Amino acid sequence: MDFTFSEEQEMFRAMFRDFSAKEIAPQAEELDHEEKPALGALRKAAQQGFLGATLPEEYFGAELDYTSYAMLIETLAADSVSTAVTLATHVSLVAMSILNHGTPEQREEWLPLLAAGEVIGAFALTEPDAGSDVQAVATRATPDGDQVTLDGVKTWVANGEIAGLFLVFAQGAEGMDAYLVPQDTPGLTVGYREPTLGLRSATFNTLYLEGCRVSEANRLGQPGEGGSIAQQAQDRMAVALAAAGLGVSENAIQVAAQYATERVQFGVPIAQKQAIQGYIAEAKIEVEALRYLVYHAAWLVDQRGDYGFDASVVKAFGARVARSVTNRMVQVMGGYGYMEDYPMARKYRDARALHIIGGPTELHDFQIAQRIFADLDMDIAP
Amino acid sequence: MRIIVILGRVLDPSGIVVKGSAGRIFVNREEYLIQPADACALEAALRIKDGMAAEVVALPRSPLPDDDILRQAIARGADRAIYLTGPALKAADEAAMTGVLTAAIERLGGADLVLIGSTTLDTGQGQLGLRLAEALGGAQITGAWQVSSADGQVQAVLQRNGRYVAVEADPPVVVTLLPGALKLRYPDGVRLINVYRGVGEVGDALEAWDAADLVDEAALTPLVESRGKEFAPERERGVRASGTPAEMAQAAADALRQRMRR
Amino acid sequence: MDFTFSPEHIALRRMIREFAENEVAPIAAEIDRDHQVPMETMRKLGQVGLLGVCFPQEYGGMGAGEMGYCILMEEINRVCTSTGTNVGAHIGIGAMAIYLDGNDEQKRRYLIPLARGEQFAAFGLTESGAGSDAAAIRTRAVREGDSWILDGGKVFITNGGYADVVTVMAVTDPALGARGGITAFIVETDWEGFKVAREEDKMGIRGTSTAELVFEELRVPHENVLGKVGEGFVTFMKSLDMGRLTLGAACIGGAEMALESAVRWAKTRRQFGAELASKQAIQWKIADIATELEALRSLVYRVAWLVDTGQPFGQLAAMCKLYGSEVASRAIDIALQIHGGLGFSRDFPLERGFRDARIGEIYEGTSEVQRIVIASNIFREHGVRIRP
Ligand SMILES: Cc1cc2nc3c(=O)[nH]c(=O)nc-3n(C[C@H](O)[C@H](O)[C@H](O)COP(=O)(O)OP(=O)(O)OC[C@H]3O[C@@H](n4cnc5c(N)ncnc54)[C@H](O)[C@@H]3O)c2cc1C
Ligand SMILES: Cc1cc2nc3c(=O)[nH]c(=O)nc-3n(C[C@H](O)[C@H](O)[C@H](O)COP(=O)(O)OP(=O)(O)OC[C@H]3O[C@@H](n4cnc5c(N)ncnc54)[C@H](O)[C@@H]3O)c2cc1C
Repeated sequence: MDFTFSEEQEMFRAMFRDFSAKEIAPQAEELDHEEKPALGALRKAAQQGFLGATLPEEYFGAELDYTSYAMLIETLAADSVSTAVTLATHVSLVAMSILNHGTPEQREEWLPLLAAGEVIGAFALTEPDAGSDVQAVATRATPDGDQVTLDGVKTWVANGEIAGLFLVFAQGAEGMDAYLVPQDTPGLTVGYREPTLGLRSATFNTLYLEGCRVSEANRLGQPGEGGSIAQQAQDRMAVALAAAGLGVSENAIQVAAQYATERVQFGVPIAQKQAIQGYIAEAKIEVEALRYLVYHAAWLVDQRGDYGFDASVVKAFGARVARSVTNRMVQVMGGYGYMEDYPMARKYRDARALHIIGGPTELHDFQIAQRIFADLDMDIAP
Repeated sequence: MRIIVILGRVLDPSGIVVKGSAGRIFVNREEYLIQPADACALEAALRIKDGMAAEVVALPRSPLPDDDILRQAIARGADRAIYLTGPALKAADEAAMTGVLTAAIERLGGADLVLIGSTTLDTGQGQLGLRLAEALGGAQITGAWQVSSADGQVQAVLQRNGRYVAVEADPPVVVTLLPGALKLRYPDGVRLINVYRGVGEVGDALEAWDAADLVDEAALTPLVESRGKEFAPERERGVRASGTPAEMAQAAADALRQRMRR
Repeated sequence: MDFTFSPEHIALRRMIREFAENEVAPIAAEIDRDHQVPMETMRKLGQVGLLGVCFPQEYGGMGAGEMGYCILMEEINRVCTSTGTNVGAHIGIGAMAIYLDGNDEQKRRYLIPLARGEQFAAFGLTESGAGSDAAAIRTRAVREGDSWILDGGKVFITNGGYADVVTVMAVTDPALGARGGITAFIVETDWEGFKVAREEDKMGIRGTSTAELVFEELRVPHENVLGKVGEGFVTFMKSLDMGRLTLGAACIGGAEMALESAVRWAKTRRQFGAELASKQAIQWKIADIATELEALRSLVYRVAWLVDTGQPFGQLAAMCKLYGSEVASRAIDIALQIHGGLGFSRDFPLERGFRDARIGEIYEGTSEVQRIVIASNIFREHGVRIRP
């Protein structure tokens, strides 16, 4: 075992920090209040190659290993979880699905555009009646010659308003299929934007598919392979979301610890009080544990084995850590932690998403238990 | 002007859950409200009192196990309330109540205006107002939206054939109010606390009268005798359709066709 | 022991619930969205007598005691934490200080219109340098003949933006500090020298006004000294003791709302072919909220009874606030989770509840301050003095 980062990885980290400090941090608060996506920063991120972070160079990607990519998400999330989620949706859910399951033509067509940020990707799986229960997806794919007609409603589609390409999951003749649907396809409408508790500078929309016709050639993978494509994408996303949880938690500790050194009550900086020390120490313990889970899971992604179990573990833990750390750091800042003109309230609101986005924690708990009992030859149902 | 308001109570429907599959009604919270139409009658009385010298007295529409809704009426502004008691009253029906209420009103010194809900929420009962008008020998106005009083007369607004009509009558008048006609005001905090504590200005606003002192026993014998309960035959269960709209329409059409064949 | 509510308190709860459902619930989402104090609703609360719930009838109140006030806080917060906070700052601490230590003349002049909702009160303690350490306030009051001249300012004052009367704590003798050097004043906000400098933009309870106040040569007549000169700190601490209890009551309401909506959703929402209610992961959460809620309810109403029967209650009031705010936060968090994605949406009240609930652990003494209070009371009984 070797727990050190390579020189290259260290260099990347410095670069990510630099980028985030210059392009993300200064406008994060304003964009959150105005509920606008960080389009300018995304354009700059594309120039840096971040929108094709893990794509091979032949598609104009940056060819980062998943660990470095996790660092990127972590770093961005320190300043804006919204932007980290936007980017992770684009890369982990959409671009990497095409990379792993696409035909050479599909990759040629889409990956360079995604890497360049000319097209932003979105992932449309959830439906009103299919949240945790993905099998309940009711959107249909009806074949019609060499075309397919998609009908259904998708909800909570991250990047919905800014996406050029939707990865849509629908029930076909042989089970769930995945389709690449460009935004300008007739019959596709991006609708209602969810007003959210946090992640306000990302958009989550309802997607209507009404007689939306795409070519058979737009199907990603084999017929019936959609369920597996979705699961693999969700596993990758789980690691990225945990990395986001790591980033926001680390930063919350930094901000609050700094505050604790400056805030004087009862004649001393509150950092002198054991209650405050305890909060910071407990938070730090959780963050350090999370850090190694994240990098380990990210490393597993690169090993291309089955890491579904580890993805659930790291996602569930990441959500818990982000929630509890931001909660305590709000407390350290007292009344100021509750004010929207300090960054802590935003981090607290954003972090709450992680227990739900990418599958609720209860679902990950189930998947973890399922694996443990499977090893004991016992099948369990959710 | 003396205004009599007749009030009944009904189990608060928001505390009840009807579970069809179990064939049962679950009472989660046993709380009683003033009958909605009677609540309108109370509000109508209080509005008249807001504008002129008037005494509002609340009386029960049927035998009550406790005086809660009468205290509620006082808390909301009624000057007095008479809680009618007595074992003979237990089985009283509308006819018997009419006798008792008429006697009670007489003892109060008569009424210029009697206000009551046109119907009850639970039993759909609507006779009492009409019977009272008959017994008191005054005019009656049924199904009013609004009531007011000016120049020694009583005015009311009714809806007839889709139009609003104003009517007028000389006291004594019995007016029945439609449910939903007026929104009953909130209790006044101080009156509420005091009427339940039995202190202050409203401390003796609530009196209890024994029905036996008002009428003789014969008058309390109900006209109607209940000999048991019978329910309408159970209906056939409906059909639940699912799937696409087309499939659901198909399922509905099939079900109708089958039913017609039978 | 008798754990039943009296008939008048049962009737009072029904009245408040009727009012809350009809007048407060319908505006709760709107005032949060628009960042508006619901003035009209506040006035209506006064018209029906509820803003005087705990004050004696001779001062325009209802005379329903602390028990009645706890019922009010529970029922209002069940439908809207912002309105509950406005009421709490107005009655629970603002007017409460006048009720506790005001003289008859001050009560007639100020408490009566406050109890009727014709005027509103705020409680001015916190300063930018004095949050948990309330004794560190800097606002100065200097005697000048028949008046006192106030200079300084306050931050985070609930109702500060619209109050007519603010009870202000100021230093009258820097040498003495909290023990004898701090005095409470009743300040009318239309006096010259009183200024609302800023309104805060908060994560939650957005239907409340949290204002920064500035006093510049603000002249306060001597008759507006609240309590005795030099004893203001005691007045404020007594008010906060009462406030803490009723914040616990407010948290019952928040947790109730969470439990009710979680149950409603769990029996409606189906995934994997069954209602969420059929899953133990959900059942356990519901069972936990319900258990904590009952424990909180018992604690709060017991303390209300202590207050109304004139027994010591400060230690338990701190526990009400500490435990209550944590229970409410946990309950809302769980309810939000049971709603899945919808819980994260501003179209559902859980999202607002989640933002609102977070304030409970911060204001009127943070959770840490409550723990300091509780621990120092315990150690004091053992002869050990604790410094915060
Ligand atoms: C900010 C955000 C962004 C999102 N982005 C996307 C996106 O880009 N693309 C996309 O397709 N979807 C997206 N989603 C949707 C997300 O994946 C779903 O919200 C999530 O899977 C939960 O589904 P649901 O909301 O329907 O909750 P439900 O499935 O209804 O679950 C409600 C609650 O019940 C619990 N539960 C459900 N079943 C069980 C069970 N069997 N046992 C125990 N507990 C159970 C859940 O854990 C949860 O707590 C997003 C959601 C959010 C909040
Ligand atoms: C929305 C809102 C409304 C408010 N309304 C009012 C009002 O109406 N009137 C009023 O006077 N004030 C009001 N306040 C102020 C509120 O009471 C203070 O915010 C609170 O007392 C905490 O003070 P602070 O914010 O300065 O935090 P600080 O005192 O700076 O505390 C920061 C952190 O340090 C901790 N800490 C401090 N000292 C110690 C110690 N000795 N040991 C351990 N931990 C410690 C605190 O618990 C907290 O976690 C309001 C605040 C808010 C946010």
